[in-house]
Amino acid sequence: MNAVIEVRHLTKTYKKTKALDDVSLTIEQDAIYGLLGRNGAGKTTLMSILTAQDFATSGDIDVFGEHPYENARVLNRMCFVRESQKYPEDATAKHALANARRFFPHWDRSFAEELVDDFRLPLKTPIKKLSRGQQSAIGVIIGLASRAEVTFFDEPYLGFDAVARQLFYDRLIADYAECPRTIVLSSHLIDEVANLIENVIVIDRGRIIMDESAEAVRGRAVNIVGDDDAIRRLVAGREVIHSETLGRVSSVTMLGHLSTLDREFIAEANLDLTPVSLQQLVVRTTQSGADGRSVPDTEHRSLQP
Amino acid sequence: MTATASAASIRPAAGPKNRTWGVVRLQFTNTQTFVWVPVLVLGGIWLITLSVYWIISSSGVEGPMYSGGSQAPLWYFAVVGAQAMNLTFYFSQAMSLTRREFYLGSLLAAALSAFGISLVFVLLGLIEQATNGYGINGYFAYLPWVWEGGPLAAGLTYFVLTMLTFILGFWFAIVNKRFGFLVLTISLLAIALLLMGAAAIVSVNRAWAEVWMWFAQSSALGLTFWALGLCAVFALGSYLTLRRLTT
Repeated sequence: MNAVIEVRHLTKTYKKTKALDDVSLTIEQDAIYGLLGRNGAGKTTLMSILTAQDFATSGDIDVFGEHPYENARVLNRMCFVRESQKYPEDATAKHALANARRFFPHWDRSFAEELVDDFRLPLKTPIKKLSRGQQSAIGVIIGLASRAEVTFFDEPYLGFDAVARQLFYDRLIADYAECPRTIVLSSHLIDEVANLIENVIVIDRGRIIMDESAEAVRGRAVNIVGDDDAIRRLVAGREVIHSETLGRVSSVTMLGHLSTLDREFIAEANLDLTPVSLQQLVVRTTQSGADGRSVPDTEHRSLQP
Repeated sequence: MTATASAASIRPAAGPKNRTWGVVRLQFTNTQTFVWVPVLVLGGIWLITLSVYWIISSSGVEGPMYSGGSQAPLWYFAVVGAQAMNLTFYFSQAMSLTRREFYLGSLLAAALSAFGISLVFVLLGLIEQATNGYGINGYFAYLPWVWEGGPLAAGLTYFVLTMLTFILGFWFAIVNKRFGFLVLTISLLAIALLLMGAAAIVSVNRAWAEVWMWFAQSSALGLTFWALGLCAVFALGSYLTLRRLTT
């Protein structure tokens, strides 16, 4: 795998607050990253610095092997879609897309036109008169149709309804399959993007608290559904991060791997294993990070008889 | 640096020059700011001035009539400068442009627009010269002091002054975005105080006569070169302020 972005000890301080605190990470080529974290965690700051729209207080960044600041060669290969992009006075969606076509070398015009239809974007209305969701659609279309080698989406779906969001996810994954590239998707709708992202970066108060493949993150915990009594026996003494009970049936997410003994018990008691919610894992990690506790890594404990 | 993605994929078609030219087109996307409003201001003031001349001349006044109306579009360019900066800068960043590309493209767009309006100014002046002030001895563009050095010099004066106000508007907008409205206001007040201070020094030394003499003795073209120098200084200032502007 090739690294397209390298960040080393990046710190960004605004007056007294630390927006980014000693961040180091690597973004590989042709992969979808989920940049997750609460509001104000530092997601936008990180992406702004990587696209040279903001400046680091200290630390190094390398994008395609160079520093992106005032570097057309590097910037040319990136596209950053902001949550609330500003457009020139009186510009229409048509103007915005015409300009994007001019500046992004891999722009796919017919794909852009398709997306305009998909999102039912009015082309001739001044952007400031469009609804919030329609304005977001412009950003999403630019981000997708530019087919930049590295594309950042910063919560791009503000004002989108569920249908439009699903449309965005579907188009993103389909186009990614056709034209693989690096995508960094910042989101707080973690479960919605969970099936899209291959790598999870969680940032909290300017620090990276998780940087792993989605698979590895999911492997940290198991979700078991079935008879409440049996589940209670299984999870006794383990760290449960989420549980729901409805009558005699429980659904419990617990940290750690299952031993052979666990699996036998699960089979005997007729319990079911279901996919773990990425959101719950992230929320828990973020909370324990906030408490100052370290996250216990995968535990190997056998079932207490 | 460890392994870096190969650039073997299709090389970007747009070179730096194309991108700067792209900014010109981006600025002209908004034809209203750069073309129609300046034309409207110039045309409107021209029409009003001519009406006033006509009223005056119909009341029997014969002497040549001059007005400062032709400077109106010039001031409007400060507004153009601020608008070219305000929202367009943020969009240019979304288009992955460098600040330098945005800066050069915006100045180039302003120069094209200023050139157009200067051309109109010169044409109007030539018409006035040929028709003796529209036959009523009224002059809008043909101001003798400006035209001393001929139509080219007059056009250059007009062009440089237009660029000067544009760059000032552009720079003030950048300062506003980068340091906030408070700092902008303080800077403007400081500039006003400096000018007042200079005036005070002149007054204390009873040197006003010499100052006016200097102005009177300098040709319009000479002052134009001074203005050109100011343009360069302010342009450099705005570039340095823009270089560290964040979104």
